[in-house]
Amino acid sequence: MIIWAIAKTTVGDALRKKVLQVFLVVAIALIVLSLSFSQTLEFSSRNGISADFMLLKSFGLGMMALAGIFISLILGVSLIPAEFERRTIYTILAKPVKRYEFVCGKFLGALMTLGITTGLMGVTFILTIVAKAIAAQHLGAGPTVAALQTQSTTGAESVAIFDWNMVWGVVMNYLQFMMLSSVVLLFSLIFTPTVNFFMGAAVYMVGFMSSIVQSLGNAEGASAFLKGLFTAVYYVLPQFDRFNVSNQLLHPETQITNMGFYTLWWGAYGLIYVLITLVVAILIFERKEV
Amino acid sequence: MSVAEAIVVDGLCKEYKGRLGDRVMAVNNISFSVQEGEIFGFIGPNGAGKTTTIKMLLGLLFPTAGKAMVLGQPAGDIEAKERISYLPESPYFYEHMTGAECLDFYCQLFRMGSAARKTKVAELLERVGLSKDGKRALRQYSKGMLQRVGIAQALINDPDLLFFDEPTSGLDPIAHKDIQDLILSLRQQGKTVFLSSHQLSDVEHVCNRVAIINRGELVKIGTMDELLHAGRTIVTLSNVGDELMAEIKPLASHVAVDADLTRFYVEADEDVHKAIEAARGKATLVSVVPQRQTLEDLFVEIVREGRK
Repeated sequence: MIIWAIAKTTVGDALRKKVLQVFLVVAIALIVLSLSFSQTLEFSSRNGISADFMLLKSFGLGMMALAGIFISLILGVSLIPAEFERRTIYTILAKPVKRYEFVCGKFLGALMTLGITTGLMGVTFILTIVAKAIAAQHLGAGPTVAALQTQSTTGAESVAIFDWNMVWGVVMNYLQFMMLSSVVLLFSLIFTPTVNFFMGAAVYMVGFMSSIVQSLGNAEGASAFLKGLFTAVYYVLPQFDRFNVSNQLLHPETQITNMGFYTLWWGAYGLIYVLITLVVAILIFERKEV
Repeated sequence: MSVAEAIVVDGLCKEYKGRLGDRVMAVNNISFSVQEGEIFGFIGPNGAGKTTTIKMLLGLLFPTAGKAMVLGQPAGDIEAKERISYLPESPYFYEHMTGAECLDFYCQLFRMGSAARKTKVAELLERVGLSKDGKRALRQYSKGMLQRVGIAQALINDPDLLFFDEPTSGLDPIAHKDIQDLILSLRQQGKTVFLSSHQLSDVEHVCNRVAIINRGELVKIGTMDELLHAGRTIVTLSNVGDELMAEIKPLASHVAVDADLTRFYVEADEDVHKAIEAARGKATLVSVVPQRQTLEDLFVEIVREGRK
């Protein structure tokens, strides 16, 4: 009950942050506007996907990721430090509230806020694609409709207005926001908000290149120290690139063979990573003076 | 029957490390106890260590050395927190909430059910005189109204022990009086109040016992009668001759001559008697006025002494 009460308050507080509202509104506006950008492209088909749809999906997913990352950073950076700054933490922790309940409540609130913002961006993104598909069908644009054709289990072709793969893309985006906000929450107990913002951004960038970091860890000719360093970075930092599925969604030739297993595997990785980060944050907060 | 101790502080220390590696002793080896049902004043100048001590008693800060027990449990214990409350100096709340939402939030921290919360919030708003403003956002509240919300949140659990940190700071006289009355009503209900305040007249008026802290150290502790002992006495004589002046002057800490009246400020009771005896038949005794020290006098004296 206490965790839920703190989480609800966190959501109410977070959604009133002007900077968060600006990022959200701009992202949603740009996703909607991408509909008009795509009209300027010719219907050139590549692997069954028309260029206008490629642009819509690529831009939409990219915009969602960019806005989501900034929102995660802004939210995570101020989640607990703002409580110190405004001194609201004193009256809360003077009540029979265990410190882990406070941290969990704040983090759950952040996840709910990210869920709402990602949900709004995701719904806008999917509706934009649906609108484009309906418009294309009415106009009878060949390649566009072809792009929406999916192979049913019986082998017969059917036209799908709603593409479930896009939902998958949104969910994978949400998982990486979750991981990033947990890292930033942990850092917020150690660093100042400004340092934390840049540290969080750096972690995201390195984590986004985890495959390259892994290759560097296995590179021949590199010193044992460097190999060890890159391997450690690869395992310690979140592997954000595993959650960036734009390529798989846009290029059928790079499709994952077993999407269900991939989602479960990396979903579990994300949740375990968040759990470990949260436990470390709680252990630090237990000894933190307020 | 012995009275139980609500707070026991034993050799409590809090040391902070500065950025340059220097160490600052915010609270230095203080020991005291507060009896149940007592209104305990905790006074000291800014930076004396009052808030640090309160935060250690609430488990918000961890002592460097020593220990503190609150309602029979170690400071910060969750079980004890069910029975205590805290009103910080200038309390801050989530401004997007209304007064009622804010109190509902704090009620949830005591795991109260929905129906109980609704009743409690209405009761508390009524008690602090905010019934009509309960649905207004806190950002529209005045400082006095926010302080009332702070008091309301401190009364949610009908606490046995209340920590008030500068509760009247920056309030208008009406709000000030309301808080003073609240503390007196809490005393009548047998609650224990730990009151940290700069308003020495309030402390003198409502507290049973007072502790004075300066530069992290406990300088004095006791009841008002113990602390504000009968101070000096002013013996006023008229027509004091040179011989008598020479006889009485060594007994006084200060002598003031005003026309034919001479005032002798005598510290010890024994010396007052000697002065009166000496004056018998040699001068006219106009008045003997014992001066009771105020808490403010004592406080200023202690703080000035500490600065030397």
